[in-house]
Formats: sequence, C-alpha cells, structure tokens
Amino acid sequence: MFKGMPKIFWIGMATMYGWCFLFMFLEMTIQGFPLIRVLGIPFCYIYNFLWVVNIIVSFLYFSMEE
Amino acid sequence: MEVNPIVIIGALIYFGILFWIGWSSRKASLDASDFYVAGRKVGPFVNGSALAATYFSPASFLGLPAFIFIIGYPFWWALVGIIGGMPIATLLTAAPLRKYAPTSFTDYYEDRYETKWMRLAAGIPTIIGGFAYVILSLVGTALFMLAILKINFTFSVILSAIVVFAYIYYGGMVATTFSTAFQGITMTIASVVAAAWVIGYYGGLNGLTDAILSNNPNFFNPPYANEVASHKLVGMWTGVIGFFFTWHFGFSALPYTVVRFFTTQDIKAARRSVFWAVVVGGAMYAGLVIIGSGARVLIETLHPLMQMDTIDSALGVLSHMKTEYGVAGASVTDYSMIAAIEAFQQPFLLAILAAGGLAIAMATAAGWTMVLNVLLGRDLMGKVFGSPLPEEKPVLITRIMTVIIIVICMLFAFKPPALVLDISGAAFIVILCSCGPPLVLGIWWERATKAAAMINILVMTFLSCFSWMYANTVHGSAHLFFLNKNIVTPHQFYWVFVGFFFFIVLSLVTKPCSDETIKKYSLDLRPEA
Repeated sequence: MFKGMPKIFWIGMATMYGWCFLFMFLEMTIQGFPLIRVLGIPFCYIYNFLWVVNIIVSFLYFSMEE
Repeated sequence: MEVNPIVIIGALIYFGILFWIGWSSRKASLDASDFYVAGRKVGPFVNGSALAATYFSPASFLGLPAFIFIIGYPFWWALVGIIGGMPIATLLTAAPLRKYAPTSFTDYYEDRYETKWMRLAAGIPTIIGGFAYVILSLVGTALFMLAILKINFTFSVILSAIVVFAYIYYGGMVATTFSTAFQGITMTIASVVAAAWVIGYYGGLNGLTDAILSNNPNFFNPPYANEVASHKLVGMWTGVIGFFFTWHFGFSALPYTVVRFFTTQDIKAARRSVFWAVVVGGAMYAGLVIIGSGARVLIETLHPLMQMDTIDSALGVLSHMKTEYGVAGASVTDYSMIAAIEAFQQPFLLAILAAGGLAIAMATAAGWTMVLNVLLGRDLMGKVFGSPLPEEKPVLITRIMTVIIIVICMLFAFKPPALVLDISGAAFIVILCSCGPPLVLGIWWERATKAAAMINILVMTFLSCFSWMYANTVHGSAHLFFLNKNIVTPHQFYWVFVGFFFFIVLSLVTKPCSDETIKKYSLDLRPEA
C-alpha cells in the first residue's frame, strides 16, 4: 500500500498533523493557552497565521517532485 | 435597512467583468474536450484560483463565520483542517489523476474496477452530494442578493437560480475555468479587505480580542482546560477533532475538485495548482476567521437594527431579518457575517463583500452543476445506458440537465433543510466515506477489488445518510453520535475512517482485478512509474 509514494509526502503529513494535534493538546491541558501573549498578541493568532505551514508543505510537495 | 446604489453598482461591476471573461473565453470552446475539460490547457495559477473558487462555497464564506459566531474559537481548527487537507491532494490524487487524464470523475471507477456499473454506484453518493451543494450555493447566492437588493428571500432564490443558470449557459469548463479564477481572486480580496477593516476598527488584534472577550468571556475556551467550553459541541475532544476532519480530505476526493485536476496542462501544472489554491484559499480563510470571531460584538455594538426597542442581541437582529425578508429554515444564522459587515454602514465594503459572496456561490454552483451534467448526461445516459446524444450534442444535453438541476435545487432552496455548513458537512461525509476509499486506494493499493468498491460505496452511502438523518431528527443535531447523544461526533465524521477500514477488509477477502488493469490504473499512475 502506498508503494512509490515520495518520502516528502509523509514528512509533510507528519508536519501538518504534528503541528495541529500538538497545539490542540496544549489548549486542552493548559488553561488560557490560546490567550498567552507571544510577540505582544494572543498566541492563538500565531500558532493557529502559521496558512504558512500549509503553504510550505504544498511548496515542498511540488518543488521536491520536480 | 434600505437599498444602497453603491452596493448595487459594485455587484453590477462584478457581473460585468464575469460575463466579459465568460464571453471572450467562450470563443475558445470548440469541441467536447474543450467543453468538458477546457482542452487541458489551463496554467497553474489560473487553475489554482479556479480550484479554490470551486472548492470553497457559501459553506465556507457564510457557513464558517456563522459557526465561529455560534461555537467560538475552538471551531477555528475546522478551518485549519480544511486548508491542511489541501496539500495532501498534490501527491495523493492530483498528480496520478492528471497522469491518467480522464474526462469525468466516474471514468476512473469504471476503468479501475472493470465494470460500467461502477459509474452508477459512484454516481449515487455524488448525486446526493451534488444536489446538496447546488442547493446551498443557491441559498448563499440568495442571501447575498438579499443583502444587495433587500428583497424577499423567495424572490431572491428565484433571481439567484436565474443568474446561476445564465452563468452556466454561457459555456462549459472553458468559460468557467477562466471566469472561476477571477471569482477565486474576488472572494479572497473580499474576505481579506473585510477582515482588515475589522482589525483596523479595533486598532489591532489585541483590541479585537478584548472586544470579543468583553462580549463573550468564554469565546476562547477550549474543552477540559476551562470550567466552561465555548460551546457544548466543542465540550469534548471529539467535537474539536470531528470538525477538523469533517472537510479535511475533501480536496483529495470530492468530484468537483478532482475534475479540476483534469484541466491542467500537465502533471507539473496539476501539482502547482494545489499550491496556488492553498495560497488563495488560505488567505480567504484567514479573513473569514476574523469576520466570524468579531461578528457578534460588531452586530451588537454597531448594527443599526440594534437601535430598535425590540432587539437586544445579535440573534435578535438575525430573527428580525428572518421575519422582515421571509428567510426560511435555519439559514438566517448564515446571514451573520453579512450582518457583521453591514454593521459598519460602509456601502463600498458591503459591495466588495457581496461581490466575493456572489463569486464563491456561483463558482460552486457551476462546478457542481457541471459534475452533475457530465455524470447524468455523458456517464449515465451515454456510457451506462448507451445513448449517443451526450457525445453528439454535449451543449444541448448540458443545458437541458442544467435546467432540471437548477429547478429541483431552487425548490429545496426556498426552505433550506439546514445551515449551509451542515448541508456541506453531510455531503462531504457521504461522498468521502463511500467514494473516497475506492479512489485513493485504487491508485495506491494493487489489492483494491471490484466487489469491495461496489459494496463499500453502497453500504457506506446508506450508513452515513441514515446515521446523519437519525441524529438530526432523533437527537436534534447531526453533530451528536447517532447511537449515544452524549458523545459529540460532528457530521458522523468517523464513517470516513470506517469506510477505509471496511474497504481494506473487503478487498482482502474478494477477488483482485486483472494484472493488466492493476498495472494500467494503479502502478502506472504513481510517481515512480
């Protein structure tokens, strides 16, 4: 199953799921986590802006294949 | 609330540009290949923008902000899940399917599983999902028509049906790929400009956050870490995860996006299209998060209707809209993001938002109507039941089908059965758990069998439809587990994972396809080949 799938696919998947589930877990275990101030603004605006992770993964997918 | 000429002029400019692009590109539509797959000559940025406009619907533009308005911050993860699912399609389905280069979504099912009846099987959940999507697109178009013209919702639905029909009548994929790309840019600009206005009004993200918290102190509360979660539907982890996964795999396996992989110049362009769709769609979603989060406080502090003695909350404003304009069913909550921008009382801002809303609704209606046209005409009428008409007269058949589809959907749109995002979630789960496994594993697993594909589609279509409707009618919400209403399972999302497991087990105990078929439609489509 999935024989021939480029390694970058799994790296991208692990990055995206790792990012999302890590921060979901932190939100559900640390009270007020989304509103902790980082760089002067509530942290959730940064980790939930970071668009960016998906753009990077998408860029890696087509550029590495090419 | 009166009609503003600036808003009408803004909408007319949008229609003018749209029909000019449609008319000028229509001249390039020469034969059936041009009509169905745009002659496979669309570049990555244009195709990526069109992909975004087609994939994202009023369920995104109206529905996601409405759900943030209702549920609060934890629902932001649903938007992350949707955009996060898009890059996966690059290598999972976009590149292999472009290599195979079919005309229709169901071509792959017939070829890979060696029977024309797979077209009919794959067609059942696709027709259910397709009609649901055209209905919600008409509802979305009607709500924006209402915002622009302040007319009764029923008239608004009829006007929307006429506009959508006229748009599709202008041509097939050629007209709708270039004009849909324009719509993709329009919807993103609308969302980003409106969100920037919201952030600017509050003097930055800190000011916006303070305003949201002063209006609803629980807005940013995920489950467990706080005494009270922002809403009961995200009161347990299954709610947050469920909303994340409901739409997550849609970009890889939903027919209305998969067909856009067929229209690119080559595999390279197909992969790059996904990148541009993520850029365009991600920017739009970032805007929707801000609008949805600020909607309640904006309506309650700025909306002119709040000055009425009988209205004391955002829900009161929406109830007034429901009564005033005869908005049927639950869909008035979908008006919350429009009401939030109306609250600024800036006609040009509402004009931009209305253009974006019309763009996204019409693009989705056209994309799904084309999928249904090809499925009902070329695939079922032509390939399964042997009629020569769809190949000989594709334009005529398409127009007849379009009339039938639009009229049926218009009748349902008069009284929408649910919020647009709920209609979308149901359509996604039904198609993903039934048609998803045979498509994805058909490409990536030699052992996928005909019997497994047929049984999986029929069984999972029934189970997902039944459980969704049972939970919705018996428990009062499609987001509660149909066997136990104390567990939150948005849209019965678990069927997607059950579908893949069920398909694998069935394939292991049934007869595989021929070696020639496996080589041609599985091994040869992979990057290594």
